[in-house]
Amino acid sequence: MVHKSADKKLLSELRSFLGDRARDGDFELGLYAKDGSVLKGDPMIVCLPTSTEEVQQIILACRRYDRPFLARGSGTGLAGGAVPVGDPVVIATAKMNKILDIDIDNRIAWVEPGVLNLDLSRELSPLGFHFAPDPSSQQVCSIGGNVANNSGGPHCLAYGVTSAHVAAIEVVLPDGRVALLGDLTAESPGYDLRGLFIGSEGTMGVATKVAVRLTPNPPEVRTLLLDFADVRDGAAAVSSIIANGLIPAALEMMDQRAIEIVEAFVNAGYPTEADAVLLVELDGLPGGVEHGVEVVRAVANRHQVGSVRVAADDAERALLWKGRKNAFGAVARIKPDYYLHDTVVPRGKLVEVLEKVYQIADAYDLIAVNVFHAGDGNLHPILAYDSEEKGVLERVQAAGRAIVTASIEAGGVLSGEHGIGLEKRDYMGMLFSAHDMATQDLVREAFDPDGFANPLKVLPSGSRCSDSFGQHVPDGAWV
Amino acid sequence: MKNVPIDLPIPTEDLVSCVSCGLCLPHCPTYRVTQEESASPRGRIALMKQAHHDGVVDDEFVEFMDTCIQCRGCETACPAGVQFGSMMETTREALATQTRYQPWWARLGYRTLGWQKALRAGSALIALLQRFRLVPQKLGLPSIPIIQRPLVSSGNDVWLFTGCIMDAWMRDTHRAVQRVLESTGAGIAFPDKRANCCGALHVHAGLAPEARRLALRTMQAFPGDAPILVDSAGCGAQLKDYGHLLDSDAAREFSERVLDVHEWLAQRLDDLPEKTGLSPRIVVQDPCHLRHVQRAHESVYQVLGRYVEAVSLDDDGLCCGAGGAYSTFHPQIASDVRDRKIRAIEEIQAEEVASANPGCLLHLRSGGLEVRHPLEIVDGLIKKDE
Amino acid sequence: MSRVEDIDQEVLEFAKIVGKSGPVTVVGGRTQWAVGGPPEPGTREVRAPAGIWSHEPEEMTVRCGGGTTLGELSEQLAHHGQMVPFDMPAEATVGGVLAVGHSGLRRLRYGDIRDFVLQIRHVDHTGQIVSSGGPTVKNVSGYDLCRLMVGSLGKFGCIAEVTLRCLPIPAITRWFTGILDPFEVHNQLYRPSSILWDGNRVWVCIEGVLSDVAAQAAIFDFEEVAGPPSLPAGGRLAIEPKGLRTHKQESDQSWIAEVGVGLIHTDLPAAQRHINDVNVSLMEELEERLNPNNRLNPGRQVLI
Repeated sequence: MVHKSADKKLLSELRSFLGDRARDGDFELGLYAKDGSVLKGDPMIVCLPTSTEEVQQIILACRRYDRPFLARGSGTGLAGGAVPVGDPVVIATAKMNKILDIDIDNRIAWVEPGVLNLDLSRELSPLGFHFAPDPSSQQVCSIGGNVANNSGGPHCLAYGVTSAHVAAIEVVLPDGRVALLGDLTAESPGYDLRGLFIGSEGTMGVATKVAVRLTPNPPEVRTLLLDFADVRDGAAAVSSIIANGLIPAALEMMDQRAIEIVEAFVNAGYPTEADAVLLVELDGLPGGVEHGVEVVRAVANRHQVGSVRVAADDAERALLWKGRKNAFGAVARIKPDYYLHDTVVPRGKLVEVLEKVYQIADAYDLIAVNVFHAGDGNLHPILAYDSEEKGVLERVQAAGRAIVTASIEAGGVLSGEHGIGLEKRDYMGMLFSAHDMATQDLVREAFDPDGFANPLKVLPSGSRCSDSFGQHVPDGAWV
Repeated sequence: MKNVPIDLPIPTEDLVSCVSCGLCLPHCPTYRVTQEESASPRGRIALMKQAHHDGVVDDEFVEFMDTCIQCRGCETACPAGVQFGSMMETTREALATQTRYQPWWARLGYRTLGWQKALRAGSALIALLQRFRLVPQKLGLPSIPIIQRPLVSSGNDVWLFTGCIMDAWMRDTHRAVQRVLESTGAGIAFPDKRANCCGALHVHAGLAPEARRLALRTMQAFPGDAPILVDSAGCGAQLKDYGHLLDSDAAREFSERVLDVHEWLAQRLDDLPEKTGLSPRIVVQDPCHLRHVQRAHESVYQVLGRYVEAVSLDDDGLCCGAGGAYSTFHPQIASDVRDRKIRAIEEIQAEEVASANPGCLLHLRSGGLEVRHPLEIVDGLIKKDE
Repeated sequence: MSRVEDIDQEVLEFAKIVGKSGPVTVVGGRTQWAVGGPPEPGTREVRAPAGIWSHEPEEMTVRCGGGTTLGELSEQLAHHGQMVPFDMPAEATVGGVLAVGHSGLRRLRYGDIRDFVLQIRHVDHTGQIVSSGGPTVKNVSGYDLCRLMVGSLGKFGCIAEVTLRCLPIPAITRWFTGILDPFEVHNQLYRPSSILWDGNRVWVCIEGVLSDVAAQAAIFDFEEVAGPPSLPAGGRLAIEPKGLRTHKQESDQSWIAEVGVGLIHTDLPAAQRHINDVNVSLMEELEERLNPNNRLNPGRQVLI
């Protein structure tokens, strides 16, 4: 890969306060060209700040040299939100990884954006609390990334997504000012800038401190594994559990192919001959959990369940979850590349859309694997492929588009938790009118009129009046 | 060095097996202490891809490869089953054979390990200096005897591998292991001096040809088909890998005979003497080469658990930073990684630490902890019972 | 029901009523009319469409007109054992409650009302319909304009249609009272729905299955009561939850506080709260873009 020679003046200015934490080595830049998605960009300089002041100085320097910038957490995003396009300076927040304060009386922890999601919950655990959003990547994804993407996870079915668990955010705005959005009170005055910032994928500034809400650990947790000989029964059981007035802490589904792949990695005793399994978790006070288990059993029996396995202890529970949470990476066991979608459909349409996903994959000669948050209808169809195969990328993209179309036709949305990023921005028009998107752009503009923060993300080219840093996803962005 | 041409012979299918999901990052000790993408398995694989594609490397690349401890914790964490260890070994071998990676003095140092006379002379010198208190205590070296009493075989049921540094510096550990093995009724055979270096450190350093030479020599020291037991996790992992390193049937047969000493004992728990008295609380450090490479760490708990209250660490088996010769060449990172481990150990109130690998044991001791080999602890408890 | 072509006739009609010009304000149930001050005299009053347009119990979502009253909504949902825990007067409208943004008494367990909003369709200052969010229970497609609309007092648009997430009605809802340390109650109980405190007496709402409610209530020396005390009708003062510990010494007025939430209900009108300059400028940038001529709810102030 040949890089443009970095703007030496900007680099030396960044080095004046960052020292060797401002980088432009060819090998090093290559490492920040990608996130967890299939897209690849081209960073100009990589900065690794350790404080709000440094982030502010970086942004001010970028402004002086007319350079866009982009924040990056752990780089596990799946929609290309952290893929640098438009030759930006990458601000990697990984070194800002301190838990600053745990305030049990307020049920709040102040953390830096680079703190890893699971590290935070592990730190809180002896105190009897955790941070509720738990994306599958929770062992490595950062709180800053969770804020940028309004991340979910299996347990957000009962507990809600990141927005419900963040009270306040310190942000360096695209013009270099520092703002505190939200506060620790229940009704912070003025408009909800905090709520607007969460999920804005770094296009409204860079989060430098986050006040997260602490959720008490449930006194009782029960995890059940149900297997079904027909995926349709499994999906029907999902709707039925919810319709019975039960909101499990998590309600996850895996199809036959996913079960096989996952079992090869974890050896948790997943039934590889089943057509589908449901992983159901119930938590809370003992009576409610017991009642929930009864409801799930009764519903499962009505839907021809094969067997109901209740995890005997924490170790078994952890093993079952390890399988679920590593499913995406494990897909590489069948093909070296995968393309993952993240649409949400009404629960009642799960079977219909799943069947379409299989048909689409067949039509494009691809392998589809399904592991998903069934409880909230959040599908994660994975198309596994080998990028070395000739013409496969076109097929994968066409199939992806067909899946998104099918989901939206079923009354769904583009993304449940991964975000729009670079990957799905050109699909936004399938869900929103031109006027809807223009309104969204007005809102973004209030924070960043010149489009310096994470250019070319979220909204399609054309709907942003300030796309000064290039118009289209560059050719060859797919890897 | 800048733009040095290189041919990185890693199969393409291995390189593309990484989908860069990042799940390895928190399980990588060097990423944990640096938060640098370049010090992570995902980053290092991306760099290998780049070097593989471009055919050139520079000092930056070498540095990123050289800071890997090769603990292989990433392999346990990787859902896709990426073979990081072998990719790193291939990369280092290519660097060592095609560039100026590993200068003459480092090569000489590694050479000494398999050269018994030189190692003995050097060790005797250290022993002498220790008597005059000229060796700083913080190095954590064991007290080395000036004159070594030989190890005496007691039968032919199993071999006990002796190795290089461990035999020169910690022969008493071998004696303790021998006593524990004998307590099950087994007779122990010791190999001759051809088994005085397994070549693990050479593979880590990219000096594979030297490692292959040592492997062939080591295999000759173990005639017959008795199990070959190893009380050093690093050596055991290497001996188990001879089949892959030499790619011969003889080597594969040899590797199949190799067991960590705890693995062998765990199958004979009933033959071990009964426990009496109190169980001390011991925190167990899982050596990476036992947990992530041999995947046999559970056997330590099974054996130790008969005599003590064995407590595991809640850190997913993150490396302690020893990494064979790593702590010598990268003292800062090694010490940062160790600090993390020590914090995890200190959070657990325990009387002592058990480590089944001499490298980890010495590294943790130099961090100020009381550490012994698990079977030395067992040996002490058996003796008291008699 | 997410794309433009699927927009209901009632919403299209409402857009025409709001129109393109002239000052306009949406009237709901007038239960919190005073918040933010009254609209300027001469402002045209309009009403958002009412009616429950779809409720699918399996989906646990409900789509209704902004003018639907909470009473009508609760009744419909209760048929299927579901609820939206807004806990506001029955005559309040869904759109009105969201525009004001105040959450009800059971926020301690169920969270803010803004977290129940899935999709909003509003009519903007140009008279055009804007959709934001999505109809499914989970969605991160595009910017979160729904959250921006909640608590914006109609300054950014007239809420025409709302899709909400529902919850099952708990098997048992019980209120208890006692003279206790409210912070101890908060620490000991697992996710109570509400803890109220007047500086002396504590009221607690516990919900769930009977055995759990009984076991939780047995932790303290509680006495069962019919419901919460009536709240002072004045203002709401939001402070950091732990600030309540010292509030008792600082206040001689009568008040009832939501423990764990940090909201104090008093007889006095709400005190003005300071917003720092950077935030004010961002909020003004938003107003300038979304309500450039101040024709939406003129006179009402979110930024005081």
